Amino acid sequence: MKTPLLGEFGSPPARHMLGPIQHIDVPMKRYAETEEVDFCIVGIGSAGGVLLQRLARAGFQVVGFEAGPFWDTERDWVSDESGSHNLYWEDLRITGGSDPLALGANNSGKGVGGGSVHWAAFTPRLHPSDFRIHSEDGVGVDWPMTYEELKPYYEQLELEMPVSGPAYFPWGDPHGYAYGPHPLGGVGDVLVKGCTRLGIRVVAGGPVAILAGSHGDRQHCIYRGFCLQACKVGAKASTLITHVPDALRNGAEIRDNCMVSRVNMNKEGRTCGVSYFDRHGVEHVQKAKVVIVSGYAIETPRLLLNSACPGFENGLANSSDTVGRYLMAQAGNVILGRFDQLVRMYKAPPAHALTEEFYETDPKRGFARGFAIQTVGPLPIAFAKQMMVAKGAWGWGMRRVMMDYNHWAALGLLGEILPWPDNRVQLAAEKDRFGIPVAKVTFNLHDDDKVLANYGKNKVMEVMRAAGAEEVVQESRYAHLVGAARMGADPRTSVVDKYGRTHDIPNLFVCDGSVMPTQGSANPGLTIQALAARTADYLIAYSREIFTSKKRPMEPPPIRRHLAPPETWGKGVPRIANL
Amino acid sequence: MAAVETTQRKVVLIDPATGKPIPPRAHPGYYPGYRTLAQQEYWDEATRKVVLNRIRRVPDIRFFSADEARLMYAICNRILPQDDRDEEHRVPIVPFIDKRLFDGRIDGYRFQSMPPDRQAYNLGLKGIDEIANHLYTSRFLDIGEAEQEIVLKTLHDAKPPAGQEIWDGMSVHRFWMLLVQDCVEVYYAHPWAWDEIGYGGPAYPRGYMRLEGGQPEPWEVEEKRYEWQVSGEFVSDNYEFIAGEAEHFGSPGQGGTH
Repeated sequence: MKTPLLGEFGSPPARHMLGPIQHIDVPMKRYAETEEVDFCIVGIGSAGGVLLQRLARAGFQVVGFEAGPFWDTERDWVSDESGSHNLYWEDLRITGGSDPLALGANNSGKGVGGGSVHWAAFTPRLHPSDFRIHSEDGVGVDWPMTYEELKPYYEQLELEMPVSGPAYFPWGDPHGYAYGPHPLGGVGDVLVKGCTRLGIRVVAGGPVAILAGSHGDRQHCIYRGFCLQACKVGAKASTLITHVPDALRNGAEIRDNCMVSRVNMNKEGRTCGVSYFDRHGVEHVQKAKVVIVSGYAIETPRLLLNSACPGFENGLANSSDTVGRYLMAQAGNVILGRFDQLVRMYKAPPAHALTEEFYETDPKRGFARGFAIQTVGPLPIAFAKQMMVAKGAWGWGMRRVMMDYNHWAALGLLGEILPWPDNRVQLAAEKDRFGIPVAKVTFNLHDDDKVLANYGKNKVMEVMRAAGAEEVVQESRYAHLVGAARMGADPRTSVVDKYGRTHDIPNLFVCDGSVMPTQGSANPGLTIQALAARTADYLIAYSREIFTSKKRPMEPPPIRRHLAPPETWGKGVPRIANL
Repeated sequence: MAAVETTQRKVVLIDPATGKPIPPRAHPGYYPGYRTLAQQEYWDEATRKVVLNRIRRVPDIRFFSADEARLMYAICNRILPQDDRDEEHRVPIVPFIDKRLFDGRIDGYRFQSMPPDRQAYNLGLKGIDEIANHLYTSRFLDIGEAEQEIVLKTLHDAKPPAGQEIWDGMSVHRFWMLLVQDCVEVYYAHPWAWDEIGYGGPAYPRGYMRLEGGQPEPWEVEEKRYEWQVSGEFVSDNYEFIAGEAEHFGSPGQGGTH
């Protein structure tokens, strides 16, 4: 083989690589099972990674369980669509209802970093109005907290990931981003053009958790377009590369390929740890003072339901019969437009321009709440599947439209779907390879949701036409998963309080997207990590009460910025001194 | 690979300007001379291994019976026709679907209206033969390609005229989408398909430099279009919504969007 233009590649790394430069030394600390650790975290994804890091740096003994592997990114990840199935939760789940959700690659990660490994990394904040939609619009439910309570954590996590974006983001609570925006790709160009022609405000180059400049031992983006196949470049943030390395350096342990089968309870009605299957299928028990379930909106309720025991016959933390209910996905219609000119949408990150001009309730539209419009960038296989639905393509028609792949651009609707009790996770009759009942997911669109999705879809099609598309088609689908263990002030209608502590069990917490009572039209990743950092501050501030009593302090804990991973933030960011 | 005879190929492409046949090509598509594999020195080692194994190691048939495999070849030849490719440059599809089913790999969920994938294929293949028999009193394998498309179109339309006991237990349009998805997942994972559609392929660690305006990178090529038609009446060369109404269906939920 010739010597490549850009230097030698391919020598097998001798160390565990987290990107082309960053690496960690293994083995990590290993706690004995007989040892009662302070915290067990079930699931090391967006929330679990942040929790693990904060708690370890604060000096606690913490063990993270992850059902998937601990990635070596140079060895395990590929720059290839079909070769990336191992990133997703591909174990069996049953999906039904009148509008069944697609799972797997669509919304479920597996392996250290979880969904943050394969997210597109759009990181808009929720709007202040999202926290009180019942008060303002009479729909859904209010959060037991305000935007202002979460805002410091938004600002903090935007710096830790960090987020690249525009200097001025005009929607919700207007703010700017410390790190500069990315250049426009072909799809961003389409969105900016279409919006501008219609007089719709639009921002480009972010907000995305992708490096626009090299940062510590992480490289900046190379615009290869494989964000959803995991970022080998190390430019896109995942907790695997932003928080896990610091967690391990501070003595945290991650048990990868370990599937937690139940949360164990003692006679006093407190949890005493977890049971889990290791990679060989052998069952073990780990004792812990506190268990935090961070398995995301399907595995979290599945674990709580599967942990039913005397005294908790309907599952743990489920006295309200709310565990598994109020599951939400967003209307994620993909609108595809064919242009006479080439677009080549496989280049640049799929996520790089958006508008939230339609986010808030507009009484003139006749429905509550709203939607965002964002760039997406399907690679060929994803695009072919979209064409199968959007045009009904197959056979020669499929070959023909695929030969025009480079002429198409794709925009995504992100529309708020409200929380409904009948949208839920239950246990199915089927079992997984460990003998644990799998999740059954039921999803039904309600009239409010249909009206909103239809209006939003038409608006995106209008933008696509305004940008100059000669043919515009669309595919209905759903994006993200939140809810199913929602937070609330009332234990009769919610699973956890505003810090993620279950109402029923004083030392059992839930921390992931499943605690969100509503979802807005924002991608949930940033909110999940911000909530995790806040839950960590609560656990740190009140650990003595939580370890030993039922006392439930509700005074907000101080934000502990000094516990952030030091290399992830604070260098060259002008506004830090003022935060 | 198990000895599997493919149906005789009579389908040809026509140049609409001259009415003359376009002979099968090694590399159809609008990007003449473009080869992603020529860039493999710029790919990382893990990716190179995965992509080259896909080309070099075509799996043996282990899940489908010999009869089922023959039927699958005929079906996949219509779901993803390759009559415009010369014999040496056709992308093997059935072996990779067979491997997925043999390995029991799924996409992480099963629709409540569907049996497990293996059973869905066993049933679906029977159903397709029953429709062929109903419409043409012949096995699917023994009818012409255009007629085979008409048989398959009844599934696309979710109006199968026969095999009711099968479709009562399995959603027709979900089976249709399963079949089409499995075919495109294999075909568009192949570097020859990337060449055909002008897709850049693996892009680490080099990345891209020309992001706007659809410009090719220096190693990519400009588009050069040509017109083509399929000889005879092939119903797949039209676009109609699945079951006449795509709106009803939650889509497959690939990871390629947001």
